[in-house]
Amino acid sequence: MNKKQIAITLGVMCFILTVSIFVQIKTIKNTNSTISQSLKENELRDEVLRWKEKYDVAYEQLTQSGKDLEEIRKQATQNDKTSLAKQNEIIQNNMLLGTYEVQGPGIEITLTDNNTGISKDGMEVIDLSKLIVHYDDLLEVINSLNNAGAEAISINGQRIIQTTAITCEGNVIKVNGQRVSSPFTIKAIGSSGLLYGSVSMIGGYLYWMEYEGVLVDIKQSENVVIEKYNGVINYKYINNEN
Amino acid sequence: MKALNKEIKNKIIITIIIGLVCTVFFAVMFIQFRTIEETDITAIENMREAELRAAISEWKGKYEETIEQLEANQKLISEYTEKIEKNEEASELIDEDLKKSDIMLGKTDVYGEGVIITLSANGERQIKHYDLLDLINELRFAGAEAISINDIRVLSSTYITQPQENLTVIDGQRVSSPFVIKAIGNQTYLSSSLSLKDSGYIDKAKAVGIDAKLETGKKIKILKYNGELEIKYMKEGIN
Repeated sequence: MNKKQIAITLGVMCFILTVSIFVQIKTIKNTNSTISQSLKENELRDEVLRWKEKYDVAYEQLTQSGKDLEEIRKQATQNDKTSLAKQNEIIQNNMLLGTYEVQGPGIEITLTDNNTGISKDGMEVIDLSKLIVHYDDLLEVINSLNNAGAEAISINGQRIIQTTAITCEGNVIKVNGQRVSSPFTIKAIGSSGLLYGSVSMIGGYLYWMEYEGVLVDIKQSENVVIEKYNGVINYKYINNEN
Repeated sequence: MKALNKEIKNKIIITIIIGLVCTVFFAVMFIQFRTIEETDITAIENMREAELRAAISEWKGKYEETIEQLEANQKLISEYTEKIEKNEEASELIDEDLKKSDIMLGKTDVYGEGVIITLSANGERQIKHYDLLDLINELRFAGAEAISINDIRVLSSTYITQPQENLTVIDGQRVSSPFVIKAIGNQTYLSSSLSLKDSGYIDKAKAVGIDAKLETGKKIKILKYNGELEIKYMKEGIN
C-alpha cells in the first residue's frame, strides 16, 4: 500500500516534470529567437550608423565640391561682365533656395512648452493641450513671418525651404524629417522692426498663443545667422519643357 | 527495532527525493516565467526592428542623392576647368547653371505629373487660410516639387492671409473659392497620401463640410512665380 502510494506520487511528479520540461523547451525556442533578434537588431543599428557615416562623408565632399564649383565659376567668368552678373544671380538663387548660410538683421522667436499649468495672467489652464506648441502653430508662425517679408527662416537649425514639411507623429514634431522639440527657436531675416511689429501685434497669432499659456519670447537682432539646408535638393518630376 | 529504523530511513529518503523533485519543478517554473516575460518584449523589439530598417533606407536614400549631386558637381567642375584651360568662353555653362537654379526656385513655368485638388466652399463652411496652409504642408510631405494655388506659385516665402471672411490673399494677390491647387511630384505618393481613409486631407476636408475633389494628371502645368524675388536684408554667411 505504502509502496503503491509512493509510486503514484512519483509518477505524477514525473508527468508534471515532463510537461514543464516540454513547456520549457518551447519557451527556450522563443528566447533563442529573441536573442537572435536582438543580435539582428544590433547589426541593424550598426548598419544605420554605417550609412549615416557614409552619408556624412559624402555630404562633406559635396559641400567642398560646391565651394570648388563656385570658385571655378568665378575664375571662368572674371573676364566677362554678363557672365559675372549671372554668377551673382546664381549665388542669390542659392541664398533664396536655402543652400547657402545667410545672415542679416531680423528676429528670434522662442516658443516654449509651459509646464507650470498657469497662463500669463496667472489663471490655471484647463485645456492643457493649449500649453504646448503644436506643428500647426509653427506653420502659422512661418506664415506670419513670410507675411512680414521674411527672407530666410529656420526652426531649431532646420532651414525652411520650398519642400519643407512640418509633421507631427505622435508627440514628435519633425521639420525636414528631423526631430525638433521645445524650446523652439525660430529665426527670421528681414526688416527687424517690421518682423517684430508684425508678430508681436495685439491679436496676432503669437499674442493668442501667449494668452493661452505658451511661453513666448521675441527678440530683435542686428545680426541673425541662419543655417543652410542640411541636405540635397533634388527634383525628379518637374521639367521646364512641355 | 531494526525494522523500524529501516522504515524511518526509507521515509527520509523518499522525503528527500520528493523534496528534490519539487525544487527542480520550482526551478523549471521559475525559468518558464522568466522566458515568458521575455517573449512579451518581442512585440516591441519587432517594432524597433522595423524602425531601424526605415532609418537604414532613409540614410541610404540620402547618401545616394548626395553622391548623385556630388558626381554632377564634379562633372561641372571638370567642364569649367576644360573651358579655362582652352581659354574659351564659359557663358554657355553659366547659362545652363543659372537656368537650373531658376527652375528650382520657381522662376520658370514647369510641367510634370501630379495632382489637382479643387476645394470649394459650400454654404456649410468657408475655406480658411489654414486649410490651405495644411494642404500645402501635406503636399510637401508627400514630395511635391512645385505647388500653385489658383495659378499663384507657392514658394517657401509664400504667405496666405484672410483679411475678411470670404477674401483670401496669397502673396498680395486676392483669390477666392473655388481654390484649384496644383502640385507636381510622384503621382502615386501624392494621391495616395491625400486620399487615405479618414486621416487623409480629402476625407478630413469633407468631414468639416468642404467640397474637395482630387484628380491626377500626367502633364500638369504650373506657372512661374509672378512677383519679384528681391533680397534686401540677407547677405551670404560663412559658407
